[in-house]
Amino acid sequence: MRIEKCYFCSAPVYPGHGMMFVRNDCKVFRFCRSKCHKNFKKKRNPRKTRWTKAFRKSAGKELTVDNSLEFEKRRNIPLKYNRELWSKTMEAMKKVEAIKNKRQARFIMNRLKTGKKLEDAANISEVKKNIHLIRAPHAGQAKQLEDKMVQKLAEDVEMDE
Amino acid sequence: MGKSKQVGKHSKGKKKNISKTWKTKRRTKDLDQIHADMIPVNAVKLLKQDVDYDVTGCAQHYCLHCARYFVNLKTLKEHFKSKPHKKRLKKLKEEPYTQAEAERAAGMGSYIPPKTVEVHTQQVEEDMD
Repeated sequence: MRIEKCYFCSAPVYPGHGMMFVRNDCKVFRFCRSKCHKNFKKKRNPRKTRWTKAFRKSAGKELTVDNSLEFEKRRNIPLKYNRELWSKTMEAMKKVEAIKNKRQARFIMNRLKTGKKLEDAANISEVKKNIHLIRAPHAGQAKQLEDKMVQKLAEDVEMDE
Repeated sequence: MGKSKQVGKHSKGKKKNISKTWKTKRRTKDLDQIHADMIPVNAVKLLKQDVDYDVTGCAQHYCLHCARYFVNLKTLKEHFKSKPHKKRLKKLKEEPYTQAEAERAAGMGSYIPPKTVEVHTQQVEEDMD
């Protein structure tokens, strides 16, 4: 018995769940639920449908290239039951899963950081552009002129003396 | 992005039943099947078919990318200039989606982004009169 992956959304398809479509050229498509099957019938592209895993991966929303992703595989060689091997595998699976989750979470957090940076840059540029709304462009200029006049007068007086 | 292609009432009066067109009974060729058709060996077979009186235009004027038969050369050429055909070419530019890709997206191996494929409208013979 095998847990298949949904053709459309890449969710696991457990035995007895979802449905299988066999096209007239014998190609098999498995779907996890009617939602995926309906979208397939409508000829939608899973890469362009926002809620599928294929979209999230192709759009760079999730971790795509990593060694932790290489453990889960379709192994077509039957293995004789071995209690020791089984228990070790279970342990390894748990560890790999933990590492994978951590890396995926870190990837997303790093991805979100660029948004924060862009937001800050946008805010700064907005303030720079619209500074006249906060401070009038000629504010304080009258005072400056007056200071200059006073200084010049003082200089003139000095020169006369 | 992922919405139904039908926008407004383009069908001019005769309303098409969308749910009927989605039935597997009326299923048209998928993009990956067309990619298979585009392989030169298969393409030659489809473009030079024997006369079949049951098919539109006796199966002589076939658009490879849209998987459609046309009545004559004129309509076929007109079709090449049309929006649906150009849209179809654009869709075909991406490598077809496969079950293997779905599995990679699910975390069975690293995800490989799809490659682009060069697609051009088929050549038509000019010497037809």
